[in-house]
Amino acid sequence: MTVIILIAAPEGLRGHLTRWMVEASAGVFVGNPSRRIRDRLWELLATRIGDGQAILIEPAANEQGWATRTAGRDRWQPVDFDGLILSARPKKQLNENSRPAR
Amino acid sequence: MPDIWWKADPQDLHRLVDRVSSVYVERSHLDRDENAVVIINKQQTVRVPAAMVAVMLLGPGTRVTHGAIRLLADSGTTVCWVGEQGVRMYAAGLGPSRGAGLLHRQAWLVTRPKERLAVARAMYNMRFPGEDVSTHTMQQLRGREGTRIRKLYKAHADRTGITWNGRIYKAGDAFAAGDDLNRLLSAANAALYGICHAVIIGLGASPGLGFVHTGKATSFVLDIADLYKAEYTIPLAFDLAAQGLTEERDARLGLRDLIARDKLLGRIVTDVKSLLTPEGTDFEDPEANLLWDEHLGAVPGGTNYANHADLSVHGMTDNHIAVIGPEINDIESTP
Repeated sequence: MTVIILIAAPEGLRGHLTRWMVEASAGVFVGNPSRRIRDRLWELLATRIGDGQAILIEPAANEQGWATRTAGRDRWQPVDFDGLILSARPKKQLNENSRPAR
Repeated sequence: MPDIWWKADPQDLHRLVDRVSSVYVERSHLDRDENAVVIINKQQTVRVPAAMVAVMLLGPGTRVTHGAIRLLADSGTTVCWVGEQGVRMYAAGLGPSRGAGLLHRQAWLVTRPKERLAVARAMYNMRFPGEDVSTHTMQQLRGREGTRIRKLYKAHADRTGITWNGRIYKAGDAFAAGDDLNRLLSAANAALYGICHAVIIGLGASPGLGFVHTGKATSFVLDIADLYKAEYTIPLAFDLAAQGLTEERDARLGLRDLIARDKLLGRIVTDVKSLLTPEGTDFEDPEANLLWDEHLGAVPGGTNYANHADLSVHGMTDNHIAVIGPEINDIESTP
């Protein structure tokens, strides 16, 4: 199962995604897209999300059983602690490319 | 020129086998809202994951906008109108498969008596597993099939205790004639035809080029649907009648549950492909823009092969009539 969450997405993006997945609540999408289609949808979301944020949670062959992808501005970054993926909140002052201190 | 980024590439679309079989809509409007296909009625608004659905069955009281159909066609979703009166009319967008290989193959088979007979035999063979029908004529096969169906009706009547007075069916007006059982059968068959039609269109084959059936624009649909009636619609109709469920809706929902349980959609895909293509060939070919040539086979399309420019302009002929409303500024009507 795949879950996608869109926050402050530009107009038309949420509607587009409902063609592939079910919008369970505002901005929360659930579905079973195949790996190929997941990648292609993510590619589209990541390029069009603009000032909003996109989070994709998908099954993965790791200890947790799932992995996340994020895109957009001021997003929380997945951080890998020896196989355990946690999320790091950005500090407002950090610029886009720096990683938060561990 | 607006940026139509929402257009799906064939790569973006799920294969037919991976899709939910059907969504039935009645007494609602189908529209487009912010790139989504929406179903609107007095109670609620629902967005349809069209790219995850093989076929949309539209019942009475539906109204569809051009925008909705554009999105459905782009999603590779087949649209079927099904009526309470058994009158079916089909419309189809582009299926997920956009090559013409399977269609050529089907046309080749159906126009050669020997090959056509082989396919028809293969269809009957699916219904008489373990029997050798390779020497039977079509006449013998029709007789065998009639006997098989008659036995089947009787067996299910004995099993459920429902009286069976024969199949009463008025062509073109399926729901006018017959008892509850016949009406249930007709309704379940109508839904089965819709699913089979969706699979055939989705694979890029023709619904009209039948092998056993002939003369109807949906002959191949009838051919394929006949493979599953004994297993699905006939027992279902008797079961429902025995439970006192006599609404056409019960037949549709019952069939949908069976299709989901047995993953029938995938089986129909496999059957259509195995009937039309020899073992080991795959006609999931990508679309190609070619022009046919009697010596070279094919030459690239999208090229102007003229030696000198032909500057004559062909206008509309006198018998083309267009009805066009006044300009509207808002293209995306929001419901």
